[in-house]
Amino acid sequence: MGTVYISTDDTFIGKTDERLRVRAQKETLLDVPLIKVDGVVILGRATVSPAALIELLERKIPLSFMTGTGRFLGRLEPELNKNIFVRSAQWQAAGETDRSIHAVQGFIRGKLKNYRSTLLRAQREGIDGLEAGITRLEQATNPINQTSIIDALRGLEWAGSAAYFGHFGRLIRNGDFSFKTRCRRPPTDPVNALLSFGYALLGHDVQGAINIVGFDPYLGYLHTQRYGRPSLALDLMEEFRPLVVDAMVLSAINRKALTPSDFADEPVSHAVSLTDEGRRKFLRLYEQKKQSKFKHPVMGRQCTYQEAFEIQARLLAKYLMSETEQYPPLVLR
Amino acid sequence: MHVVITYDISEDKRRTKIHKILSSYGQWMQFSVFECSLTATQYTKLRNRLNKLIKAEEDSIRLYFLCECCQPKVERIGGEAVRDETVFFA
Repeated sequence: MGTVYISTDDTFIGKTDERLRVRAQKETLLDVPLIKVDGVVILGRATVSPAALIELLERKIPLSFMTGTGRFLGRLEPELNKNIFVRSAQWQAAGETDRSIHAVQGFIRGKLKNYRSTLLRAQREGIDGLEAGITRLEQATNPINQTSIIDALRGLEWAGSAAYFGHFGRLIRNGDFSFKTRCRRPPTDPVNALLSFGYALLGHDVQGAINIVGFDPYLGYLHTQRYGRPSLALDLMEEFRPLVVDAMVLSAINRKALTPSDFADEPVSHAVSLTDEGRRKFLRLYEQKKQSKFKHPVMGRQCTYQEAFEIQARLLAKYLMSETEQYPPLVLR
Repeated sequence: MHVVITYDISEDKRRTKIHKILSSYGQWMQFSVFECSLTATQYTKLRNRLNKLIKAEEDSIRLYFLCECCQPKVERIGGEAVRDETVFFA
């Protein structure tokens, strides 16, 4: 199963028999069976035929639209889940309630613990100078369970992230790239550009999982309500950031899968973005990462990261509906 | 399940139809040979569609099942490469 990324402009997406067919300038670019497709992402402009549209909806394959540079525009989602009980439990937990505090503690604990294990692994692999960061991360992680004010938890998250990104540059073992601080909107160096693009892709995948489970993606607990911001997706994404995106960006750079020639920058804003060729490489790596398997510590079985998004969303739903005592964030060693 | 499907169809028109159906379920490897990796549901659907179309007295279709441990032992020399199904680009 794989995702179809369409980055050629002015393509026509049609359906023949039970296949998805992508054509541009009277040439067939791609012809894949629909049984092998689990998502379609359009980067740039494309026409989708009515027959293909209906088929995608019936097979519950989500269709996302993005600009050529990877900004999310919108998404055609198969029918919203009918499970009203999940949504009402989600709304009942809104604000500073016991449940929302516990969930926020889980999100932050998951994120910071994964940050810590990233640094610890790097230390084992022989990078020095990380002790200060690891100590500061531990100092931020320890008080999480005793803290029951969401704003204070946000402060701990900030402190932990600052400690992590303060040392992130040391994890890069490729002379062509460097990292000083995290900067975004726009990212002005290649590493930040990769992180931003990766987080954007991760956001969509997590939002997709949340929709499948039946949550309202706009009501979050760690992230407050803001017009048009899928707060719950951002909440649930926290624990996956280091596991999926950071790990993949680091390995892409350290293994020299991406080179400086895969990037282009804009003269006025200094915004750095990937070239067409670089974007293809990056998407392939991201997809491979998503399909890679590991043993889920709670479920006790093999699963891919793609499945883990949905598993975590379901665990959260179970907690909010009082079917379980705790929400266990995904923490990997 | 992994299935190797071969066919011998006497009539051109019907052969083209069979070819089109099979390309929706797997990959065309050689003339009259397809390799498909299917779930039980998909396999049943495919067999139903083929059943409706075929004339059993003139044509023949063979489905060979490969077990999990035989699948990586398939050796391919030249010809069509196996499609990478983790991600598709266009």
